[in-house]
Amino acid sequence: MRFFDSHVHMVSRTTDDYQRMAAAGVAAIIEPSFWQGQPRTEVGTFKDYFNSLIGFERFRASQFGIKHYCTIGLNPKEANNEKLAEAVMELMPLYICKEGVVGIGEIGYDDQSKMEEKYLIRQAEMALEADLPIQIHTPHRDKKKGTIRTMDVLVDVGVSPDKVIIDHNNEETVKEVLDRGFWAAFTIYPHTKLGNERMVDLMLEYGAEKIVVDSAADWGISDPLAVPKTAALMKERGVTIEEIEKVTYHNPLAAYGQSGQVEEADWEDHEGIDATALFEGNTLFRGGQDIDEAMSQYLIE
Amino acid sequence: MRDDRKYASLSCVDGFAIHSDLIGTTTPNMRDTLLDALSASASADAVSWLRGQISELSENFEKHPFYYAFSGVSRRFNKATTIQSKNDTIGGWDEFRAARVALLLVLAEKDKDTFLESFSAVLNTADIREQIALFSALRWMPHQKDLVESAVDGLRSNIVDIYDSIALDNPFPQEHFTDEAWTQMVLKAIFISRPLHRIHGIEARRNQALAEAISDLAHERWAAGRVITPEAWRSCIGFIDERIAGDIAKMAESENPDDRAAAALVVAEEESGKLESQETTLADELSKIETGDLSWKSLGQEMEDKIIRKSLT
Repeated sequence: MRFFDSHVHMVSRTTDDYQRMAAAGVAAIIEPSFWQGQPRTEVGTFKDYFNSLIGFERFRASQFGIKHYCTIGLNPKEANNEKLAEAVMELMPLYICKEGVVGIGEIGYDDQSKMEEKYLIRQAEMALEADLPIQIHTPHRDKKKGTIRTMDVLVDVGVSPDKVIIDHNNEETVKEVLDRGFWAAFTIYPHTKLGNERMVDLMLEYGAEKIVVDSAADWGISDPLAVPKTAALMKERGVTIEEIEKVTYHNPLAAYGQSGQVEEADWEDHEGIDATALFEGNTLFRGGQDIDEAMSQYLIE
Repeated sequence: MRDDRKYASLSCVDGFAIHSDLIGTTTPNMRDTLLDALSASASADAVSWLRGQISELSENFEKHPFYYAFSGVSRRFNKATTIQSKNDTIGGWDEFRAARVALLLVLAEKDKDTFLESFSAVLNTADIREQIALFSALRWMPHQKDLVESAVDGLRSNIVDIYDSIALDNPFPQEHFTDEAWTQMVLKAIFISRPLHRIHGIEARRNQALAEAISDLAHERWAAGRVITPEAWRSCIGFIDERIAGDIAKMAESENPDDRAAAALVVAEEESGKLESQETTLADELSKIETGDLSWKSLGQEMEDKIIRKSLT
């Protein structure tokens, strides 16, 4: 089975992760622009970060046979630094239409401050201008209100719900997101967000239409195999293969495919792992690793 | 013994074709030439989009629409399709490169500040294919003196296709590089086994420092049981001292016919008389030169074919 993990922060992950993901069938991934665990203080660090998303990280993924895409954006935490945020707004138009950039993201609210709203609107307008999908981060605190407020703001700006993937949903937010015509993504992230048993329950209730499952694996305790593990659990719990494929592969492809920058052919006919390729003089490929052990425990709590 | 690691790296950037024997020619209607070539390969929608962008940006240039168009070529064209053209410079380019260079030719008509600001903004944030388009366009760009540092810096890339877009089939380095930058460029070309016959000015820009550095590199390689591309010796003609004369004598006695061919080509062109003693050893090769069966171009193409074959295995 092949998987498309539409939310994973690979700059924070190791080559072991890439090897296990490839072995578990992850064919393509999207790396949203994100904050780095501590605030950036200069716009130049954003530029180098964006360059790494379209350059070295994409190359690194290709070393393991995984097709890497990204979304470009200013995350809500750093939107509160107005001077920096303005400079990032100047920088973003240079990146958002590049090859392999499949949307603006991840953007949205954190504290739900006025400044966060200002840059959510600015970036939504930019997505309209460049005709791109939007990947939404919903807040950890006061999530339900924040999710509804995000959707209200996007609709006000004139964005079509069909072009927006609302991420980090839970049982409390999913109904309204789907009712209003947005894509509903769920992050399977141990301890803090959503375990995969709850995910299976959600699927049994809401079906597979417009639902996306991702890992959002990052620099915290998280699981880059969350998508294949959740697929394994779904299969065990009787979800049909067709529905599993929808939420772990076809739906994210359809949602982000609206960018015109991603299609199945990108990885169907790709050349496979080229262990000899060089990027700026660095080679990364190492020997294989046993995937069975990593996948043997597929319950994520 | 060839440097296999470097040969292998030729295939690195998702399958760029190496096309041979391109000659840089400037025409006033390069934009039309590119559009015509693209019309023959790309979809009508893509070409009509590009024409629309060009006409819009020509009349009313703004940064953001230019950035969106330059990058957004990737949404509409096919990077795996190469264009055909009677113009040797652009024939064989992929569609991304051709479409992006057509857009850069619009930027080239703008005032100096606008041009330099947008050119460097796009270059500083460019992905691999965008860099290739930018460097390929240098020959047709205005304010070239302001772009020399960017070209020199681009050559520091380890991505072969970026290096090639500056060094090969491009008149820009010959016209603008200092001797120091030129020497570094040619040495790197030798180091990573690029086809030297496709470097514009490979004869005109020969210099003492380069000739000495080539000899040094050859001695290093020989010490390691490896070789350098026989084309390298072309840059030593006119700067033959005792040491390099010894190198050419070694090549003349090599078991490798490519080495002997290169030695003969050096002997035939060298006017100092310092290599006359090699003429007997190389009699066969020298007669091939006289009949037109051996030239730097034929040797260069042969070496390039060998490199390509190697990279595909």
